[in-house]
Amino acid sequence: MSEPTPGARVRFPRLSPAELRAALRHPFWQAVALLVGSYVLFKFGVRYLPPLLGMKSAPVPASVLTQFMVTALVGILIYVSDSEDRWRHFKEPIHAGLVDADKKWIRGTLLVLVPLTVAFMTYERVRPSLEAGAQLRSIHPAPPGTITFRGKTMALAGLENPLRQQGNLADQLVEGRRVYYENCVFCHGDRFDGLGHYGHAFNPAPLSFTDPGTIAQLTESFVFWRIAKGGRGLPSEGTPWNSAMPAWEDFLTEDEIWSVIIFLYEQTGWHPRTWGEEGGADAQP
Amino acid sequence: MSGWRRASAKIAFGAWVVAAGCGKGGESGGAEGGAAAAATAFPVDTTTAATITGRIAFTGTKPAMQRIDMSEEATCAQKHPDGAFTESVVVNDDGTLRNVFIYVKSGLPANLTFPVPSAPVEIDQDGCVYLPHVFGIQVGQTLSIRNSDGLLHNIKAVPTTNRPFNISQPMNMTTARTFASSEIMVPLQCNVHSWMSAFVGVLPHPYFSVSGADGAFRIGRLPPGTYEIEAWHERLGPQTQTVTVGASETKDVAFTFRGS
Amino acid sequence: MRSRRALAGAAAGLAAGLALLAAAAAPRHQQPATQADDEGRRVYDKWCAGCHGEDGRGDGPGAGPVLPKPRDFTRALYQVRTTATGEIPTDADIRHVVDEGMPGTSMPAWKTTLSGGEREAVVRYLKSFSSAFATAPTALRFGRNPGGGRAAVDSGGALYRRIECWKCHGEAGRGDGRSAPTLKDDFGNPIRATDLTQNWTFNGGASVEDIYRVLRTGLDGTPMPSFSDLIEGNIITDDDLWRVATYVRSLSPEEPPRVRDVVSAARIEGSLPAGPDDSAWARADGYYFPLVGQVIVKPRWFAPTVSGVWVQALHNGQALALRVTWHDPSQSPDTSWNVWRGRITRSMTSDDSVPADTTSPLPDRLAVQFPARVPRGMERPYFLMGSAEQPVYLWQWESEPRAAAEGLARGVGQFEPLAGAADTLASAAVYDHGEWRVQLVRALATADSANQLQFVPGRAIPMAIFAWDGSNGETGTRMSVGSWVAIYLGEPARAGTYLWPLLAMLSTGGLGLVVIVRAQRSAGSSKQPSDTADSEAV
Repeated sequence: MSEPTPGARVRFPRLSPAELRAALRHPFWQAVALLVGSYVLFKFGVRYLPPLLGMKSAPVPASVLTQFMVTALVGILIYVSDSEDRWRHFKEPIHAGLVDADKKWIRGTLLVLVPLTVAFMTYERVRPSLEAGAQLRSIHPAPPGTITFRGKTMALAGLENPLRQQGNLADQLVEGRRVYYENCVFCHGDRFDGLGHYGHAFNPAPLSFTDPGTIAQLTESFVFWRIAKGGRGLPSEGTPWNSAMPAWEDFLTEDEIWSVIIFLYEQTGWHPRTWGEEGGADAQP
Repeated sequence: MSGWRRASAKIAFGAWVVAAGCGKGGESGGAEGGAAAAATAFPVDTTTAATITGRIAFTGTKPAMQRIDMSEEATCAQKHPDGAFTESVVVNDDGTLRNVFIYVKSGLPANLTFPVPSAPVEIDQDGCVYLPHVFGIQVGQTLSIRNSDGLLHNIKAVPTTNRPFNISQPMNMTTARTFASSEIMVPLQCNVHSWMSAFVGVLPHPYFSVSGADGAFRIGRLPPGTYEIEAWHERLGPQTQTVTVGASETKDVAFTFRGS
Repeated sequence: MRSRRALAGAAAGLAAGLALLAAAAAPRHQQPATQADDEGRRVYDKWCAGCHGEDGRGDGPGAGPVLPKPRDFTRALYQVRTTATGEIPTDADIRHVVDEGMPGTSMPAWKTTLSGGEREAVVRYLKSFSSAFATAPTALRFGRNPGGGRAAVDSGGALYRRIECWKCHGEAGRGDGRSAPTLKDDFGNPIRATDLTQNWTFNGGASVEDIYRVLRTGLDGTPMPSFSDLIEGNIITDDDLWRVATYVRSLSPEEPPRVRDVVSAARIEGSLPAGPDDSAWARADGYYFPLVGQVIVKPRWFAPTVSGVWVQALHNGQALALRVTWHDPSQSPDTSWNVWRGRITRSMTSDDSVPADTTSPLPDRLAVQFPARVPRGMERPYFLMGSAEQPVYLWQWESEPRAAAEGLARGVGQFEPLAGAADTLASAAVYDHGEWRVQLVRALATADSANQLQFVPGRAIPMAIFAWDGSNGETGTRMSVGSWVAIYLGEPARAGTYLWPLLAMLSTGGLGLVVIVRAQRSAGSSKQPSDTADSEAV
């Protein structure tokens, strides 16, 4: 074994390149580096790297981060215990830290810091919380098979936007734009991002149509259903029914809703999902 | 606060000196008022010039004058011991109509250009009303805007062809503006006192007049010819007549506005 | 083009085709001169025409239900400029508004949606709507902020009163001046005197520099005049105007209020505040909740007065006191606002089946909504005043006659007072220069537990707030609405709050010690025993 004992490096943080290379070959420090590296990647990399390449990104939620870290830890443990030799190497610095006389201060510090951290985390969990509680809801609940639209029964499965087969697109866009700006723009916004001038007062926030998770994922019949029935027409997965989305069948005709749907897809550049295998290709030229 | 003393001193000195003695309201039309300035190359031979005069008659029921509630401005209310009334339709005691803007709408030789009078036209904010209520001005002529009330007015021009302005005058002061193109009529208003209203007719020539306390108007120094004369009233609308005048002729033209 | 035309002349069939092409390319208002203008028109038609109209007249379909109205570009009247009153703006001025939007209006910021080139093209296209842009504008020369801290604020305040900004904006700056009800823009639409205490809604920007610029240039098309003539006439100095701007900025908080989900009602000992102006309220945390027009059921309401409320809450284990504060420029009913009600009715599109009533006296109103009982799980009644199946429990306060009542609601406007609850809810209100401060007090527990919510400390209880301004014609569904938030009544510290962390710390520490000792024992059995003794001292 050519590596010097790891404790010496802890005490003398200045490493020569040779020592650094040696440390990176040691399974314990490899494990530590991997763990720290994956944390940095999940916490910051996911958020900040894709924008450098011009892609959209968002921070990883805390619960998801915990899941990722557990997965990474299991992977690392499998790796270090993979061979007897590596496992023995891996345990050496731990054992040294627990036993060696010259590392008394390390274990002393850990023995104080770790319980304190645990106490603090426990306190955070049990102290009186001012959070309203998570509002879990299904954003795209399963649609019913049929709906009643102003007394007319419509089967949603296989339903296509009838306006796509009639009239011309330019007229439908003019009509769709009128419907949108007279009714939808207050919440969903001029930029179709859910940031209209009324959007900030509603919780849940109005949907952003530019988000790839909304209309881009849906068939036009689904969008029709959600527009027609609004927040109160959601099935029970949609509780707690806080959505301010009106039931537009009270305001708009069937054709008005279909035309605003065409307008939404045209303005955002998304293609609706189709009932066939090949999605979306027929929506736009 | 020191800035205020400084400012008041400057007002006392009279930073803006305005030509005084301009007739307020009345029948002093631009053609007459501009006579003093006419020395500089007035393009019409005044020895053969014609004159159009007349009176604006009013028929129908004389509308009741609406009293303005000035209770929020004690300073202004005191300037109207008998109360202030809206001026949208003012019928004189002799049955003639005041505040009608009469002007030559068309018929002038196209090659005539008229000098811009050097004397400014003045509008005063006095007693929280505009004096005068209807008046004319030539394109490019200085409009001198005075606040004699010593309280906040904003004077806002709401034209359609000219550029607008909206000037704050929170104390006794005078400021000036001009209009770049002809326009019948440019409304003036004060947003602080919603009852305040005036109208200014902007023309490229001096042939305009406003009917006064006797309903009379007079447009002089006209080259002989045939003209379209328009009489404009803010509520009762415009009326036009075609008039032909010969050399040195004075012609009387009658307009009659009908109330509801 | 010329050679193509020659060809077309030769071949009749081709001529017909070209004629069709020409018809398709015919411009709506002006011949685009360059490719950049085509780009400007494409961007404008896609993103701007919905409100501003295809011909730039401010008459797109979005114009009807918004206030302030979208700008009519054919008049070349721009509010936010660096040029004198009545002058056209510079390109940079127009670009600034396109980039940043107009806070407090429905005009959004476009810098995140459109590329720099697209925004530049749309600026050029906007200018093509008016011949006024044939001349070049001159930007005003602005001085530098002389600063001056507290003294500048004080002298700016004295100037604010002297030059009578309060005639429209009110003595406390809340947009409640005497002239406020009569204000209209150049297009005849009613327009609010800006509430100067909410600088996040200033359409020209929130900073001292932005405010100074507005004072110098005015906001063309609105009643806000320019004060430049006062400086040019040596009546006030440039520094004076900076001080007015500094004072106006000081009326708003440093940062816009942060919106949080939960109102914390701290537990206090002894008696609750005696009224809305009790000094105890100065020490209670305030929570801001935005409100917007009710656009969910007919008739909808697109021009609400109340844009947000501040909520404070305290309880003493016996009763809960709530103080709700909001800005409303009128103490309704107030007939001097009837002219405003008339203008609002004329300028807003409505889906009401009956014409709006513009004269009968309407009070100001506030509703604080709770579920009828503390919910289990996530389920709550419908946020907009409940439903037939699941009613909500409401506190409804009115300005005239000034009183609060408890009731149940089964949908908007379905308020039914609770007969037996006449004296369980106490209210007191103060109207102060454009601000309502209303205190509502109720016992945590009441006799009618079937209808009245029983407040329990230690639980997040859903709450929502709605407001009406009678002088804005608001009644029934014409109202300001917000979403469910929550109120949390604090409780005395429970033992568990400290016990569990302590236990966790002790057990973790103990476990660590055991691991160390065991490791050292097993190592010590093969080495010298002194090592173990050493580490046990740790």
